[in-house]
Amino acid sequence: MAETMVRMGELAASAVAGDVLVSLGLGSCIGLALLDRRAGVAGLAHVVLPASGGNAAPGSWKFADLAVPELIDRVVKFGARRPMLEAVLVGGASMFSVSKSSLEVGQRNEAAVRELLRAARINVIATETGGSRGRTIRVYVGSHKVTVREAGGVEKVLVAGATRLAA
Amino acid sequence: MSRYTDTQLDALRELANIGSGTASTALSSMLGRSVDISVPSAFVMPMAEAVGTIGDPESEATGVVLGIVGEMPGSVLLLFTPKDAELMCGLLGVEAGSEFGESALMEIGNIVGASYINALGQMIGMELEPTPPAAATDMLGTIVETVLAERAGAGDVALLLDSDLVVEGEDCSVSFLLVPDQGGVDQMLERLGV
Repeated sequence: MAETMVRMGELAASAVAGDVLVSLGLGSCIGLALLDRRAGVAGLAHVVLPASGGNAAPGSWKFADLAVPELIDRVVKFGARRPMLEAVLVGGASMFSVSKSSLEVGQRNEAAVRELLRAARINVIATETGGSRGRTIRVYVGSHKVTVREAGGVEKVLVAGATRLAA
Repeated sequence: MSRYTDTQLDALRELANIGSGTASTALSSMLGRSVDISVPSAFVMPMAEAVGTIGDPESEATGVVLGIVGEMPGSVLLLFTPKDAELMCGLLGVEAGSEFGESALMEIGNIVGASYINALGQMIGMELEPTPPAAATDMLGTIVETVLAERAGAGDVALLLDSDLVVEGEDCSVSFLLVPDQGGVDQMLERLGV
């Protein structure tokens, strides 16, 4: 079982059953998982900020407006079918209660990702967002279990790991 | 990959050194103990790598963050491990993990961070002001990530100036990070003439 770390501004996709895509300690960032549960393909993006304003360096996926379309492309390349894609959102917390700007970043990240998914007609099937706690997301490729864990907590199942659905 | 020269990094380390020297004096008078500082390290690295460099992202930590407003925007982050938080609170006579514990750490952060920011401003001749502190106890990665995220708009490279303040005889330290906005680093170097 290979764990792939998806760090700030990175994204990854896989069609190999047994692979696990992980983002550790999401705060105001969003961990966006895209799943095609029938094709057995999953992807994960670690979104840092809502909008690039058109001046991001090439190959940088920290902005929602660039990361969401890129993640869709990646999972489709691995054999996912676009109409079958489903999304899971984790993160978007406001970590520092006094700091107004980090509150805004978390909320704005979630709003931006949701809007982009809506425009791409992708349903959000589970979320664990907002609040003031950091979270780790794990996406189990193949079984399509998605879990979330808070600091000092246990791994909680967000999307039940089913055996592959019959086509 | 570094966009800064060795001379520039040396200059930044020296800034951090003087800033944390002033900060250690503030901490020392607060705790009534002498406080040593470590030689600061300057890290320039892709943002994605920065979190893991500071420590195990899933380990627990308390972070106190102060924003810098003025001519060089940025953030100052103080990090306490649970053990350091407990020792530090013990020195101040409050219970770690309680409401008073977190507010005591926030006050340490406020005094230490503000003196660091003032020293920095004086050295480079800039008007810098600290914003009020905010604290969180959570995964280390979450705290660092959230502070970096606020400063991530301009570039994908993070500059971290990291120094440790060590309380004498207590095996207790605070890790100290300065995270300037990218444009701010260039301004700072320009003022220093390197």
